[in-house]
Amino acid sequence: MKSRLIIFLCGSLLCFSTFRGAAQSDYRSAEQVSNDLQALVRQYTQNAQIQSLTLTPNGHDIWALTLSKGQPQDHPGLAIVGGVDGRHLLSVELAAQLAKDILENHPDWLDKTTFYIFPNMNPDATEQYFQSLQYERHGNGSNTDEDRDGRLGEDPYEDLNGDGLITMIRVEDPTGDYIPLEAEPRIMVKADREQGQSGRYKLFTEGQDNDQDGAYNEDGPGGVSFNRNLTYNFPYFTPHAGEHPVSQKETRALLDFLYEQWNLYGILTFGPANNLSSPLKYNRTGATKRVVTSILREDAEVNALLSKRYNQIIADDNVPPSVTEGGGFFEWSYFHFGRLAMSTPGWWAPKPEKDSTQASTTNREANFLRWAEQNDLDEVFVEWTEIDHPDFPRQKVEVGGFAPHIMQNPPYAMIGSVVEKHSDFLQEVIDMQASVELINLQTESLGDNLTRITVDLHNPGLLPTQTQMGDRSRWLRKIKVQLKLTDDQSLISGREYQLYERLAADESVQLTWLVRGSGSLELSAGAAHTGVETLSIKL
Amino acid sequence: MNRPKMNIIRLLIICFLALPFSGFAQKVTDVFRAAGTPHNPKVRIAFNQYYSSDGLAALGQKIAEAHPELVRRQSIGKSTQGRDIWLLAITDYSTGDPDRKPAFYVDGNIHSNEIQGAEICIYTAWYLTEGFRDITYVKNMLRDRIFYIVPTINPDARDEFFRGPNTASSPRAGMIPLDDDGDGQFDEDLYDDLNGDGSITQMWRKNDNGNFIRDPKDPRRMIAIEPDDVITGQRYEYLGREGLDNDGDGQINEDTYGYYDPNRDWGWKWQPDYVQRGAYKYPFSAPENRAVADFVKAHPNIAGAQSYHNSGGMILRGPGAEEDVSTYNRADIRIYDAIGEKGEELIPGYRYLTVYKDLYSVFGGELDWFYGGRGIYTFTNELFTSYAFYKKSGRDPDTRYKAEKDLLLGDAFVPWTTYDHPQYGEIMIGGFKKNFGRATPGFLLEEECHRNMVFTFYHAYHMPRLSIDQIKEKSLGGGLREITAVIKNDRLMPTHASQDLKYKIERPDYISIQGVEVLAGMIVENEDFNVTREQKVEPEKLRVDNIPGNEVVKVRWIIKDRGRPTVIVDSAKGGYLKKTRE
Repeated sequence: MKSRLIIFLCGSLLCFSTFRGAAQSDYRSAEQVSNDLQALVRQYTQNAQIQSLTLTPNGHDIWALTLSKGQPQDHPGLAIVGGVDGRHLLSVELAAQLAKDILENHPDWLDKTTFYIFPNMNPDATEQYFQSLQYERHGNGSNTDEDRDGRLGEDPYEDLNGDGLITMIRVEDPTGDYIPLEAEPRIMVKADREQGQSGRYKLFTEGQDNDQDGAYNEDGPGGVSFNRNLTYNFPYFTPHAGEHPVSQKETRALLDFLYEQWNLYGILTFGPANNLSSPLKYNRTGATKRVVTSILREDAEVNALLSKRYNQIIADDNVPPSVTEGGGFFEWSYFHFGRLAMSTPGWWAPKPEKDSTQASTTNREANFLRWAEQNDLDEVFVEWTEIDHPDFPRQKVEVGGFAPHIMQNPPYAMIGSVVEKHSDFLQEVIDMQASVELINLQTESLGDNLTRITVDLHNPGLLPTQTQMGDRSRWLRKIKVQLKLTDDQSLISGREYQLYERLAADESVQLTWLVRGSGSLELSAGAAHTGVETLSIKL
Repeated sequence: MNRPKMNIIRLLIICFLALPFSGFAQKVTDVFRAAGTPHNPKVRIAFNQYYSSDGLAALGQKIAEAHPELVRRQSIGKSTQGRDIWLLAITDYSTGDPDRKPAFYVDGNIHSNEIQGAEICIYTAWYLTEGFRDITYVKNMLRDRIFYIVPTINPDARDEFFRGPNTASSPRAGMIPLDDDGDGQFDEDLYDDLNGDGSITQMWRKNDNGNFIRDPKDPRRMIAIEPDDVITGQRYEYLGREGLDNDGDGQINEDTYGYYDPNRDWGWKWQPDYVQRGAYKYPFSAPENRAVADFVKAHPNIAGAQSYHNSGGMILRGPGAEEDVSTYNRADIRIYDAIGEKGEELIPGYRYLTVYKDLYSVFGGELDWFYGGRGIYTFTNELFTSYAFYKKSGRDPDTRYKAEKDLLLGDAFVPWTTYDHPQYGEIMIGGFKKNFGRATPGFLLEEECHRNMVFTFYHAYHMPRLSIDQIKEKSLGGGLREITAVIKNDRLMPTHASQDLKYKIERPDYISIQGVEVLAGMIVENEDFNVTREQKVEPEKLRVDNIPGNEVVKVRWIIKDRGRPTVIVDSAKGGYLKKTRE
């Protein structure tokens, strides 16, 4: 009897632990994310909608979630975009988990703001994390000729050491440019001739030079990278960019959707660019050229404000430099689309603890390795191991290097706090959000049925109603102030209908009219991206 | 039967027999061939008038049906309103692989009001098909090249220009509705044809403080008052184009069709609307342009291209924007110059110009994408200049007025009439009709078609023409032979423009050898001094970056002393050729 009880208890414990083990322990595949998002929308049907914008070449959906109270266009909109870089699994989780967080924990946000969330713009590439051959992948599933030699996919990676990962190979060769880092010899760095160093190794990604053109693995399966396919500073004819800007269905589908959301005022991108830890700097030459290349002055001030708030929540300790590629999405969202643009990778490894037994170094990779080892991360670095390489029959060749995805994507268990912090940051943004209000209404009777109406049009938010860049764009509407008179009222002075471009943070404009008549009339002010306020005025 | 009745019957029979000869069909013997014109064409087209989109489609279909051995017709996509964008692919289909021949692409009417390009395209298609039989030049051209002709790439708005009230310069855009004044409404304040004459002319009003007077010698004209003038007559002010304030916002005609510019929608150095007015959402966001781009990307044999606009009498090349000057290098400019300067000779009154320098900066233009994005030598012609009226150079501001009166017999001006305008009160409405000023008048249209067509022929002629000039053999002893192939390009244009070489837009040319066992392959850089460059990988298929214009390229293989070599040249823009050594 007792033994049966023990068996029963052990069995339950086993069931319980496998039940706990069913909790997510690794990044979710595109299919899992798909299913989870569908389930989320089913759970919150009142406030959530989901649609597939298009299918990628490999058949994955590009999902667009709309979170709103009432009609989406009734409130100013904020977009959140993940998966712009195919190596960045974290960004997909951040976007998807924030969607859940908003619906579960912050439904009050929807009173003020509509959210448009696009968890993954490049699922073809992020899926490479889950394949039997894992490597960091830029391109979607469309077959492209990355090195423009007339052949498609003729030189892919090869898993020379059979570990299911694509890392690097180093070849001992006096004509090479690389040497091991002194402080951490597993890391290879370029020799610095000014320091009297001379290279001893050649460094390539893991594989063979299948087409014997001197370049290694330069043309594998796929594909175009979403984060190189936009119009700002497009990198013509370079690998993974596409034949021309916005050449891919995914890019077009997203842009077609965004251009129709007139209420959209800002876009938060999870990707390699970072203007939140460190704001973009205003540069007069760049800002005054015809093709603008610098953030505009007033927008730089707003960026600085947002950055301050961000750094209070997510410490700017050991932040990697912001990566701006040509054709990037964040850059497009500001320079071409004119919206309030924010971008961050979301997470980066902190500095390692000081260790007196190790020489200190500023090399980011070495510090990452140390931090990872201090925190017992698994399978971070594949130790350099010699192999026979057919392209180098008489030289020493070793396979090794960082495991793919490891530097930008923390262990899954760490993600929860990253989501939480970015949720806190979103709270800040929403609190600062611009809107229009009609305040200090005064009606003075001048006798003879004549009334003077004075009112202040005010933006109580800490963000402007649109960016300075947005002022130039035809894709943002003007703030429309409209006085609706009844048939027995007439306007003596003032305009029935006026358009204003923008209200800065805490800016106000005084409006005044002279109306003849009695009864009440309606005054409305606003635009889709600021919200519209209506006032009923009694004469 | 009595005699009168018999006579009547005889008369009826004679009349009945005479009917076929009574003149609705011309006999072949009624016509004498004029020089340079296709004789007795199967398809008869009047080239002194303009055709709607349906009209153009019908003509294209007639030409295709009359010449099935020379024409294949396809729709390359649908316009905003669902019309087909028709393309005619014209070549001698009885010889060679059609889509492997060097191709010349022509289109017209990207701007809806710039109409005559479509007629020139139809004229070109008509001339090629009807001239093939009798004109040797045409026969040779269609043997060696294929023409992809798209008469209109903006069919919706072309029809809107014809049927709706417009100026000579509107709508220019396509028919996608856009909010031009940021008030949330789309296309809510169009032009209004107040006098119902089909054209949007001008509104003027008597105003004692106005800055114009009527020309006492020419009732059509309004003259601006100069500072030293002493005015005794009635003064006028200009109010703008015919229209009303449809949406009550204090402005007239501020939100007409569009506005976006289909010629700012192309994928080379595209800039958004605030940098380049008229840009839409992203490159090829207009469906008509996307159809063209998809076709061009799928046809890498296109080596030369032409697009038609109006007006001004110009032969334009890029760069479109000053920021893009580095894209065009000297070697290519020389080729452009050769063709452009020939064009000035072929079309008197036209000037060969560079867009950004002589006109204004344009980002995202069609010609920029064709050259910058695909490496295709491309010209844009701005058709019609008032030089054509009197063939006299020099800018005479009176030319238009004289020509309208004496050559067009007053048919192109709407005489002034009064009108009671809801905001402006009593005004005068009148002005030149929309078919005057930019569109070529009827009597000059066929000449304009022909001259521009032969300009495109000159360009198409100079697309690369490759031949395997020689296959030389030399025995090396020890069971080995050396085969040297000489590939010739006897036209001006290389197989790869410099832009193409700079970015590797198109794949290299392949020169292969078959039928033999290859040990080594190399490019011969200097035959006299035996300087060669070996291609170690896949030597039987040599990869050559370029076969320049009016030059030869030599390649060499070392082969075993067995078998008969066949040399194959496979160039995207140069074509596919095969030759076996005798």
